[in-house]
Amino acid sequence: MRVFKSVYGCAGVLSLALAAGVAVWGQDAPDTGPKARLALKATESHIGNLTGHAADGKTDYRRYCAGCHGDYGDANGENAVWLDPKPRDFTIATFKCRSTLTGTLPTDEDLYNSIGRGFTNSNMPIWNTLSPQQRANLVAYIKIFSPRWDKEKAGEPIKIPAETAVTLDSIAHGKALFTKLECWKCHGSHGEGDGPSASTLTDSKDNPIRPYNFAAGKDDSRFKCGNSNQDIYKIFMTGVDGTPMPSFADVIQPNDAWDLVHFLRTLQINRHGKENEVLSAAHGVIPPYVDKNPAPAAPENKAPGSGQ
Amino acid sequence: MRTKPILLTLLTLLVCSSLMFAGTVSGKVTYTGTPAKQKPIDMGKEPSCAKQHATPVTGETVVTGPDNALENVVVYVSSGAPDDGQVPSQAVTFEQKGCQYIPHVLVMHTNQELKIVNSDQTSHNIHPLAKVNREWNKSQPPGTAPIVDKYDKPEFISVKCNVHPWMHGEFAVLSTNHYDVSKGGGDFKLPNLPPGKYTITAWHEDYGTQTADVTITGNETKDVNFTFKAKAY
Amino acid sequence: MRMWAQSHLCQKPQRATSMLAVAFALVCLILGACQPASAFPAFARKYGLRCSACHESWPMLNYFGQKFKDNGYQLMNDRDAPIWQNPGYWPVTFRFTPFWSRENVNKVAVDTGSGQQSLTTTGFNYGGLDILSGGTLEKNISVLFVPSSDETGKFHFESANVRFDNLLGSPWLNVKVGKFELDSFVSEKRTLTLSANGAAYQLFHYIPVGDGNIFGQLGDNQLGVEWMGHSFNDRTRLSVAVFNSVDGSPDLPYGQNSYSVFIAGSQAFSAGKLGVQRIGGYAMIGEAATTFALQGGAPLSGSGVGNKDFSRVGFEGLFYLGPKLDFQVFTQHGSDSAWFGQGYGDFIDNPGGLCPNINPTGPCNNTGQGLPAGARRPTWNGAFVETHLVWSPQLTVFQRSEWVRMSQQSTPGTPSDLGNLDNYVVGYRYNPFMTSRAGFAFHNEFSWFRERGGAPDGTDLSSSSLMLGFDFAF
Repeated sequence: MRVFKSVYGCAGVLSLALAAGVAVWGQDAPDTGPKARLALKATESHIGNLTGHAADGKTDYRRYCAGCHGDYGDANGENAVWLDPKPRDFTIATFKCRSTLTGTLPTDEDLYNSIGRGFTNSNMPIWNTLSPQQRANLVAYIKIFSPRWDKEKAGEPIKIPAETAVTLDSIAHGKALFTKLECWKCHGSHGEGDGPSASTLTDSKDNPIRPYNFAAGKDDSRFKCGNSNQDIYKIFMTGVDGTPMPSFADVIQPNDAWDLVHFLRTLQINRHGKENEVLSAAHGVIPPYVDKNPAPAAPENKAPGSGQ
Repeated sequence: MRTKPILLTLLTLLVCSSLMFAGTVSGKVTYTGTPAKQKPIDMGKEPSCAKQHATPVTGETVVTGPDNALENVVVYVSSGAPDDGQVPSQAVTFEQKGCQYIPHVLVMHTNQELKIVNSDQTSHNIHPLAKVNREWNKSQPPGTAPIVDKYDKPEFISVKCNVHPWMHGEFAVLSTNHYDVSKGGGDFKLPNLPPGKYTITAWHEDYGTQTADVTITGNETKDVNFTFKAKAY
Repeated sequence: MRMWAQSHLCQKPQRATSMLAVAFALVCLILGACQPASAFPAFARKYGLRCSACHESWPMLNYFGQKFKDNGYQLMNDRDAPIWQNPGYWPVTFRFTPFWSRENVNKVAVDTGSGQQSLTTTGFNYGGLDILSGGTLEKNISVLFVPSSDETGKFHFESANVRFDNLLGSPWLNVKVGKFELDSFVSEKRTLTLSANGAAYQLFHYIPVGDGNIFGQLGDNQLGVEWMGHSFNDRTRLSVAVFNSVDGSPDLPYGQNSYSVFIAGSQAFSAGKLGVQRIGGYAMIGEAATTFALQGGAPLSGSGVGNKDFSRVGFEGLFYLGPKLDFQVFTQHGSDSAWFGQGYGDFIDNPGGLCPNINPTGPCNNTGQGLPAGARRPTWNGAFVETHLVWSPQLTVFQRSEWVRMSQQSTPGTPSDLGNLDNYVVGYRYNPFMTSRAGFAFHNEFSWFRERGGAPDGTDLSSSSLMLGFDFAF
């Protein structure tokens, strides 16, 4: 028995030693190497009353985000190669969902909302299980990856006027805009994501990407950047940076934009909403739009297909 | 009041001397090997553009001239001539016409005004794929005002129109005004270089960059030629 | 037998000779129940998320993992259906745990000498192999299938269920049918503890000494149907399950029309910098048969009548003190019908004389003799506190302290502390790497257990285990 006891003693000592060794070994990778400076920045984020701190976001970033976005935010996590669409590359600081104009940095709130909302039709989950503080910390943390955050300020959020009434006239005008602005070239005349250019689209990293299919999904369908009418407004006015979806802020008047929103809602044929109610009351027929204040002869473009 | 004429004389001398001793670097850009055949572009999906071209157009990634001349190569002074900080006041224009970019390669100084014009009867979206500068993407339907922008950091930026996948151009944003783009004969010329040591860089969108060191001692013209190895595909 | 392997400890004695021996066998059952745990690298591979995204430390779920599970193994980004997967994706996970351990029991019955002796043994061993297959068949339809083997290679189906989620587009309408784990967010299938004395939550299997109710074990997967509803962000969770009172055994071996119900609910709330806390409660209320028809002297499967009641209710909570430290709290008040307290109930599993007060020589069956005078409902209270110090997503140090105290013995005159349990576990778990392909943990744990009056001579039974092992899932 004595022999046994000493064996147990050894095992105990061994396990303790391992415990101690592991405790040291188990800490996060040391902040050394060429990219160490990234971790040292004391970036902050401000969302309402919340202040996020990059240092507090590091563990959560490694736990939840790094597998795809990479330890260095360069979208080179071990899973990135398997994903479609690809994860965001934080070193470029180009973000899809913004309330700010194309080419500008998003606000902290935009990033915060993106984390909590997730991205439909992608692998980005809905991180609403993280506490607001955790999300704010992650917003601060992802800013350490690009020097743009040191030099530039976030863009000004676009001004969104109060939503106009959903009327058949509004839908008709929206349809005219959809045709004139050639949204159908990618999204298809019925918004099914099958326009003539759809199959050729690539994102800014040359990966193939599909245009949004409005007709898929039902009441629970979401857009990349939210599911409210305001979100749709923001999407086409600010553009989805890094993708083929451009900004229309320079070419659509703020109030006309609501007409386009109302028309886009009718492309979601399986969704129950005000827009589809108005349309069914008109037996599903959108009348041709008559411009009551015609602008001086702009060249008219005849589209081969027309929405709805 | 004798100071003024003296000053004027001195100024004149200075200007003259700098002009007198200004060197020029000139030469020719050529290629060796066989460049990939540029694919013809089918604009069938955009009839308003197709009808502007009597003969089918091809891609412009590699444009060659007689005697192996290589066009669309940006040749510029990449070091030696400190940026004088002078941003040209006139804007450079990038035109979309017949679903092609004119010019195919547009050089501009940092912070120089860039005007983008749509002369077509169709909507384009202008999507310069900047990585150092801001990446933006804007729609420009026919008849709308030019898009005006500028870039504040030097960068070579690919430009595409997502609606018309064949449309492809390049912005070369430089921090120098000493540049040229090789034309039909592959020729380029960088005049007005004061004496000094320079590095001349030639950049081609597909074949990469080459550099050459040049020393200008006075009023002379130095010959520098660049030869790119063509990629077969 | 010098080599007294863990598997022997866990075998059911075929010929138990005394109440205490049976009680000891039950304790063995509890201790040796190698819990198939549901860490699922197949899901990590499917979605490209690291283990740490869903697990605080695998297999223990974090809030995000809990939401994923409650959504029917879906991220809810319209990419969950298999049609979006690479056809080569194989939704199968294996888990295996080789380890070295030292096991000690202070008193074991032997044929010689004083009739009992202490026993200590060491050696290499392994936990059974679990195969876990599951995932979506189509948007909002998913399955879970867990063939699990013990260390001899004998398989049983730990889980086999199909679930329909988000019916009518509502997260409040999810239905599960088959054999499944009861929906307590403190999950014994996902415990971080693995050693012989620490692997199981005592309260998930507690049965008073001499009690015949094996049906009230929260930790055993049950056969039935469950409705589950939750808010979109999973902060509020509610579930009701109805299942056979058969302790998860297939083929209706026990009574006629005996069902149990398990109800659980919990609410999470954000406590600022402390993190997201969760509190909830559960109740298991059921009835099971006590009387069987005999066929050739043996009980007839499915003939059980004379349903008697039992209940287990308690509180559960998960409290975070910042991102690195949490406390998992679980309490229970248990109560069995006096009939169970006297040994009725588990007749088929243990046909030997379970009811010394009623029928010392024959089977424990209610053939008209009724309850002995003064027999009462056995009741007890218990609690455990489990602490996790998550030093980094790769290293977790844990402890659990668990106590069960009888508050009323079924037979008057029985020592009031008979069957009281104390269980303490401490250890750490280290993942040398962290990817979304496989889970690999170095595991070191020590646990100590004591049952009042549990030894062959009626004194306290105590045992300890020290375990060093590797836990891997891929």
